[in-house]
Amino acid sequence: MNRAGKILLPLAVTVVALVGWHVGVRLVKSDLFPTPMDVVRGIIELAQAGLLLKYIVASLFRVTWGFGLAVVIGIPLGLVLGWYSRFYTALNPLIQILRPISPIAWIPLAILWFGVTDAAPIFLIFLASVFPITVASCAAVHNMQPVYVRAARNFGLGTLELFQQVIFRACLPQILTGLRIALGIAWLVVVAAEMIAVNSGLGYLIIDARNAGKRYDLVVAGMVMIGVIGLGLDCLVRQLEKFDEVRWGYASNAR
Amino acid sequence: MTLRRTILLFALAWTVAITLLHGALNLKLFSPKPKSGAEVGRIGFLPVTCHLTCPVTDFINKQNEGSIFEPVRFNSWPELKEAYLSGYTKATFILAPMAIALREQGVPIKVVYLGHRDGSAVVVHKDSNIHRMQDLRGKRIAVPNRYSNQRLLFFRALKQAGMKPEDVELIEMPPPDMPAALYAKSVDAISSGEPFMGQTELDGYGRVLWLTKDVWPNFISCVLAVSEEAIENDREWVQELVNGIARSGKWLDHDMDNRMDAAKFVSRNYYNQNPRLLEFVLSKPPDRVKYTDLVPLKPDFEEIEQLGVESGILEGTAHFEDYVDPSFAAEANRLSAYDWKEDKE
Repeated sequence: MNRAGKILLPLAVTVVALVGWHVGVRLVKSDLFPTPMDVVRGIIELAQAGLLLKYIVASLFRVTWGFGLAVVIGIPLGLVLGWYSRFYTALNPLIQILRPISPIAWIPLAILWFGVTDAAPIFLIFLASVFPITVASCAAVHNMQPVYVRAARNFGLGTLELFQQVIFRACLPQILTGLRIALGIAWLVVVAAEMIAVNSGLGYLIIDARNAGKRYDLVVAGMVMIGVIGLGLDCLVRQLEKFDEVRWGYASNAR
Repeated sequence: MTLRRTILLFALAWTVAITLLHGALNLKLFSPKPKSGAEVGRIGFLPVTCHLTCPVTDFINKQNEGSIFEPVRFNSWPELKEAYLSGYTKATFILAPMAIALREQGVPIKVVYLGHRDGSAVVVHKDSNIHRMQDLRGKRIAVPNRYSNQRLLFFRALKQAGMKPEDVELIEMPPPDMPAALYAKSVDAISSGEPFMGQTELDGYGRVLWLTKDVWPNFISCVLAVSEEAIENDREWVQELVNGIARSGKWLDHDMDNRMDAAKFVSRNYYNQNPRLLEFVLSKPPDRVKYTDLVPLKPDFEEIEQLGVESGILEGTAHFEDYVDPSFAAEANRLSAYDWKEDKE
């Protein structure tokens, strides 16, 4: 497909969806559910009040730290689990038990442990994203071609070097796929994480708008902003796939 | 540039930038701050009229000699309760039966003052054919929480109408979601603190079935509770807090001008709601909610206890003396209303 088509096609579909939304609201004659224009006005109102930037920064801050901690802990943990089968046997059941628990279920504990500070939502975002990263890293080691390790051993690499120079690099493409999914999840749980009474953030915006009476335009404005920023984050992570260190891991026609 | 250097540099720059921005914009780290909440003591509240004296006290204090506490707004009961249990808030506005239940479970909590009297309603959709209590048979009714007094209120109203609890279906729902649920007719009646009931009237799809004052005069739903630790170590602060709440209650009931001022500054600075909402529920009718006569009295709480036991939320093991410390209210109640008027240019 040519370059223009890559932009025009999704744009056209989006416009059709927006028109469908507008017509839908008009047909149902609901004065509670906002039209796309109401939502745009809501976003402008937020921007003029200076709240939009504040809330976006707050949400990005929490996701940055929650996701960052998950990367720093999840990747080494996953590599170790994948390499040492004894660790895997010992820890995997526990990880699989913790993994399916929704961050919403952790909210009460997060408040009890961290109070109503930024640490609580960061903890929830960390929990939501650390398991996908660990599992992806672990699976990457399991799927790694044994020939890399044998070659490395022949060169006499120590354990730490083996992890740094060979295992991590060999697993990088698969880990990145895991990171991409985990970042999506981290951004997804921002609403749930900000249900805790922090006083900023896009998730807070949605909860706060519910308090404000009939401001469902602001609820949807929060949803739209989360969606648009999520798209931006995904584009950013996909840029990583352009590097040679990663590219070899993908089939040439994958992109 | 290699992948590793790019990622490390980008991640570092991004983390530093977003942290600094968050610190500047939201945490106000770089602008002078009078006193942090940890020093002055935080008080939990919800954006409902039952807790109106909390922001009013804070606002008037700030205009005068400076606030003695930091109000922390929550969005639902469980989070408010958990923040109190974790010690994050030193005092909190809370549902009376919830405070009693916490006491029964061994939480060192004491009720020191009432939040309000009356100030609740049962609202049905204006198109429905529900006109009396008996019409609610088999219907679905939303209440804020199992520990909410609205639920007890319903039990009492059912008894008065000669009906049994099984005759209706009570479901729990956060008050901010109630107006939309009634609009969509997914529930037949809703009951919570204002302004969420008034909102349905204002928007033209809700009809009041009855106000609390019609079924249970002098109804109490929320109280001000503090930790026993604060009472032991910080009596002065608790007294000052109760004084402020008592004085702003009297200020609110002094005249309608004060109430309209409060509706404006509370909506704008604390609740983030349309001021029309608070103006409506504070004035139509004026005795929809009252902020005077707020000393905790034994007979009121005995009635709540009894209804709580009957409806299965209380064990009946904690009594007035266990969960109420009326010593602060007596002194506070002798004080007069705040002498404060908004400057009108």
